[in-house]
Amino acid sequence: MLPFTYAVRNLSRDRSRLVQSILGSALVVLLVMGAHAMNAGMTRSLQSTASPRNVLLLGAGSEESMQRSEVSEQAAGIAETSLAGVESVLGQRAVSPEIVHMATLLTGEGQELRGLVRGVTSKAMLVHPEMVIQEGHFPGPGELLVGRLAWRRLDVSPETLAVGEVLTFDGVDLRVSGVLAAPGTVMESEIWMPLQDLRTFAQRDTVSSVAIRLREDAEVADVQLFTRQRLDLELSAVSETEYYAKLARFYAPIRTMTWTTAILIAAAAVFGGLNTLYAAFASRVRETATLQAIGFSRFVILISLLQESLLISMAGTLLGAVIARLLLANRVLPFGAGAIELDLEPSTLVVGLIAGMLLGFIGTLPPAFRCLYPPLPQTLRD
Amino acid sequence: MKAEKNFPLVRCAGVAKRYRKGSLWVTPLESLDLEVPRGEFLALMGPSGSGKTTLLNLVSGIDSPSEGRIDIGDIAVHELSRRKLAAWRARHVGYIFQLYHLIPVLSAYENVELPLLPDGQSKRDRRERVEAALSLVGLADRMHHFPRELSGGQEQRVAIARALVADPELLVADEPTGDLDRESADSVLALLRNLAEEQQKTIIMVTHDPKAAAAADRLLHLEKGRLLEDQHVK
Repeated sequence: MLPFTYAVRNLSRDRSRLVQSILGSALVVLLVMGAHAMNAGMTRSLQSTASPRNVLLLGAGSEESMQRSEVSEQAAGIAETSLAGVESVLGQRAVSPEIVHMATLLTGEGQELRGLVRGVTSKAMLVHPEMVIQEGHFPGPGELLVGRLAWRRLDVSPETLAVGEVLTFDGVDLRVSGVLAAPGTVMESEIWMPLQDLRTFAQRDTVSSVAIRLREDAEVADVQLFTRQRLDLELSAVSETEYYAKLARFYAPIRTMTWTTAILIAAAAVFGGLNTLYAAFASRVRETATLQAIGFSRFVILISLLQESLLISMAGTLLGAVIARLLLANRVLPFGAGAIELDLEPSTLVVGLIAGMLLGFIGTLPPAFRCLYPPLPQTLRD
Repeated sequence: MKAEKNFPLVRCAGVAKRYRKGSLWVTPLESLDLEVPRGEFLALMGPSGSGKTTLLNLVSGIDSPSEGRIDIGDIAVHELSRRKLAAWRARHVGYIFQLYHLIPVLSAYENVELPLLPDGQSKRDRRERVEAALSLVGLADRMHHFPRELSGGQEQRVAIARALVADPELLVADEPTGDLDRESADSVLALLRNLAEEQQKTIIMVTHDPKAAAAADRLLHLEKGRLLEDQHVK
């Protein structure tokens, strides 16, 4: 084998080319990590929101959209009292009638905020036990509970939605009573208010859905059977997991677009990198020919060229990961269903590492082939 | 490669080389027969394009003949695959280039050490051989210098040490003095002469310089791929 020092020292032959190559690799790794973090965050957010023990009762025919769904008061009441297998906490059945409404609120400065408002009763906390009130208290009449990331979804400063601030809904002032946290779920970007208040604002005499938390030994099929037996209630039972999985599929084109954009930009960077490597290796055609003349096989020389490229791409990967950490970690991005908090989880780092290694490996082969393939007498003369 | 002195180390029989250049077939060597005894210092002269470097490349296993056979010692070089040729070259041939072809990022010591690496020798053995080779070319005190820190003559001496270090029986040199001033050229030629005489190295040298050719035992002229004269110089 050629000494490793040969690969290391080759890096310093042209410092500007080295910097260019490292930055190119870092850009590719950053883009790949960014795309992965975004898509992983989106998927995680939708998956975390869904609990396998929760069932949603929606209006029959509106299984795809909670906002379009209408469940009558009567149906909600019957379901609440007659369903078997419902979780009970301190004597209270975990059944939460909810209204989901896209509303326009006004800030104190008159700025319009359009966001998802969920009307709930205190039983919502029984159905969504991952929810915690981080600050303040559960909203009473004339109050709002804002999700921890709602400010990002509504594109305002966090102070605008701080506890004590006032937002106006249909000319009525509503005070922020608390901040809601449910790490990793889309509900963190929602605004909650008492069900009765929202019913008045939205002028509806129905609810959007009834969320039910089942006991561990109960099954979704039991609830589905109930809805089939009580066709008069016009209900459809969908497990929360299934509902959010459908929602995730709805966002699949966005994920594809994210990857496509990242891959296109990365491809441009890869071609730039290939060009740099072509230039770097082309200036050493005679040198590699000399090594062959001395007795090194083309494979051994290829290994050395790979070592060199991998050193560059790994340096780029490290830089890309550091930049990703600085730019992406804990960054909150809005997306249709709410807001996602980006997190550089191990899988994102592994994807970045693989991208960096592939870049170093695959990026070396074409220029190395061009350098090593021509007949030795010709390359010795070049 | 165990053979007696005066028994030919290099034997070429009916060697021809042809290759395609665009739509034309080029024949740099035609039906060449040549024998070079062990320990002989042979000079090859001829105009540009006469086939000198092609012959050197064939004999050193850098290129393969289109026709004929080439035996170096008891090895039929023309039958070896590209991979086997690389391993054979590492042990049996030392190549000296006109422009030295030293690796700029490696020191003189590391450059000379290169041919020993494919052989898997111990670091200690390698150090002994590299130091001996550099001492032989008079550059023991420059072993940690990089090529850019050496003069042209010194660089060529390092290249000769690199060619020698694996103790090959055959040294091929392609215009080794072509890029040197007279004084450095004389010094390199004296070194090659000494290697042939004292160490029984078989040397085949391509040159355009009659003074360089005069240092050889025998001078051959090539023209249009054919040997013209066989002239004993010394």
